Amino acid sequence: MKHTRLVGAAAAIAAAALVLTGCSGSGDSGDDNVLRLWHYEGADSAMGIAWDQAITTFEKETGATVEFEEKSFEQIRSTASQVLNSDEAPDILEYNKGNATAGLLSSQGLLTNLDDVVAEHGWDDRLSPSLQTTARYDERGIMGSGSWYGVPNYGEFVEVYYNKDAFDAAGLEIPTTIDEFESVLQAFTAQGVTPLAESAAEYPLGQLWYQLALSKADRSFVDDYQLYTGDVDWQGPEISYATETIKDWTDKGYISTDASGIKAEDAGVEFINGDYPIFFSGSWWHNRFATEIDGFEWGTFLFPGAEMSPGSAGNMWVVPENAKNKELAYEFIDITMRPEIQALIGNNGGVPVAADPADITDEKSAELIANFNALTERDGIAFYPDWPTPTFYDQLNAGLQELVNGTKSPAEVQQQLGEQYQAGVDDIVG
Amino acid sequence: MSAVLDETTATLEASVLEPPKDREGRQRGRRGRSRGGGPTRRTTGDWVVLLVAIVLGFLIAVPFLMILINSFKSPADYSTSGPLTLPTSLYFDGIVAFWERVDFPQKLGNSIFISGLVAVFAVALSMFNAFALGIGRVKGRLWIVVIILLANMLPQEVLLYPLYFMFKEVGLYDSQWAVIIIFTVIQSAFGTYLLASVYGTFPKELLEAASLDGASRWQILWRVVYPISRPTLSVLLIFFFIWTWNEFLIPLTFLVSNDTQTVPVAITVLQGDRLMDVTTTSASALLGLIPTLVFFLIFQRTLTRGITAGAVK
Repeated sequence: MKHTRLVGAAAAIAAAALVLTGCSGSGDSGDDNVLRLWHYEGADSAMGIAWDQAITTFEKETGATVEFEEKSFEQIRSTASQVLNSDEAPDILEYNKGNATAGLLSSQGLLTNLDDVVAEHGWDDRLSPSLQTTARYDERGIMGSGSWYGVPNYGEFVEVYYNKDAFDAAGLEIPTTIDEFESVLQAFTAQGVTPLAESAAEYPLGQLWYQLALSKADRSFVDDYQLYTGDVDWQGPEISYATETIKDWTDKGYISTDASGIKAEDAGVEFINGDYPIFFSGSWWHNRFATEIDGFEWGTFLFPGAEMSPGSAGNMWVVPENAKNKELAYEFIDITMRPEIQALIGNNGGVPVAADPADITDEKSAELIANFNALTERDGIAFYPDWPTPTFYDQLNAGLQELVNGTKSPAEVQQQLGEQYQAGVDDIVG
Repeated sequence: MSAVLDETTATLEASVLEPPKDREGRQRGRRGRSRGGGPTRRTTGDWVVLLVAIVLGFLIAVPFLMILINSFKSPADYSTSGPLTLPTSLYFDGIVAFWERVDFPQKLGNSIFISGLVAVFAVALSMFNAFALGIGRVKGRLWIVVIILLANMLPQEVLLYPLYFMFKEVGLYDSQWAVIIIFTVIQSAFGTYLLASVYGTFPKELLEAASLDGASRWQILWRVVYPISRPTLSVLLIFFFIWTWNEFLIPLTFLVSNDTQTVPVAITVLQGDRLMDVTTTSASALLGLIPTLVFFLIFQRTLTRGITAGAVK
């Protein structure tokens, strides 16, 4: 009876699995005193630690229990619209900001309008205007105006990370103007060191390009570019300067032509192991650098000579329209906005949106948060270059790759990007 | 490769025409022949083929070796020396961290449960379908096969929303049974296509002999067709198991609660918005890979018999 062996084995496996999983009915909990909460931050990340404390505080103060599930970013990104449209929707979840995510769901009526709750708790007073941009969406789901649909807890922004030891060895100071910055780059190149760890295969070079444009821009340029309030001149001074400077820096050897094939992770690792002295990227690296760099001293500064930098409020709490316990969800959001929870985010390498600077005891974190506060105080949060259209991230990377490896001239790249941007925006605005 | 072919042919002949005892004798004879056979001289061609096979094998193995190396490396070690070097010291925290963070034994149980049931159901369904199409020769069978194959040919992204609404209506959203039903249908589409053509070449004499002896249709299927096509069915079972195991998009969509999720879905927990943790991700990939590898090693003898071994000349 050899032939039954395989079928038997398969059946045994299936049966064992049945026993292992038990009756895995998820059980619908419409209990009045349960808050079903989802987020996707790791347990030992800044937000993970702070929110864990918030859960403890919440349970103690309200007597309700929290049913927490750690989700993956990928799962929430790709299945949120389906989950929130069903009975399985949680009471509160962390969700991605932006037109294509929170904006889309708010226009479909899947998210709860938070206008009254925000006013009642005064959350709007604690968030600076550029941080509010990603929390408010109009009826078409475009961010920047309209009703509140989310509340951000943390922020992020892009700054310059530099290798202090390498700067000292070369006798260089922190640059305060773009000319000084270029002479620092020149000094390293003269020593045979490529100064900038860059990646054109992913977001870093796009963010540098946008930063360069921002250094010649004002708020109305950002509004036009990000919020579609007017036309963007793709041959204008801002974008021409950015594209030509990237080309110029590549020609001078500040940016390696190899960057076109390098990913963000690899560029970061090149900075960590000391191969490149300067890395222009986001605050999300801060914690990793703090734990993994031990061969040299490092520091940060905002991009010199620019009033604005890429950055935004982080992902935010949203309350699904199908949530069963909305009052508890509002209560929880309020706890996460308290100074002690915000300080926890700050002291663990995150960027809190409403912390008291005096509460931040960690030295490196204080520097990070001081940079962020300097930006928000001068209304310098300018969002990211790929936000305007769903496809612009890939288009921008492709364009800059062609610029770096010399297949296209700055003028050609600008022209191409301008057309792609406009086509995408026309689809959205109609 | 040629060994596999040899054995396939041997099985082909043996499984249909000869009783098991005789088969052993033949195999012994075959082995004896090749061992003691005349001086077979290796030509340069043979060496080139061998070399190409080794290079190919190495290229295929590289990603797995990378996973293996990086799974046991600490993040600091990875950042300073990169992905290609050997770890300076063995580091198990990545594996332990992933194991505990996602409750790995539970995910493993879910994956085995779903893949195991899908494999068994899909093979059974394929066999019944193929019996009707290939041996029953129902009218319009070509078009039936084409329609069934649509389930395989359409990208899953297209099926996602219709399936979502259907299963939400019947109350199976966020249930493992939704995934089991979907994949039973999808896998059996391919199985039906393959088995129908295998059964299409089934020797008529055998079927006629069976009906002359008074066998009913059910008996023909169970006593004649099933035993002869067993090698093919076993191979399908293994493929269905592994394919279902590796599925990502549909389980991701339908398994909302963490305690129903499968291994590939659990692995995505490690991927953040912007940062990735290479060493822990490697560790998770290694943990996800081991069960299928073990399953394959257990059943690889069945696999080498070849997918069309049941087809009779």
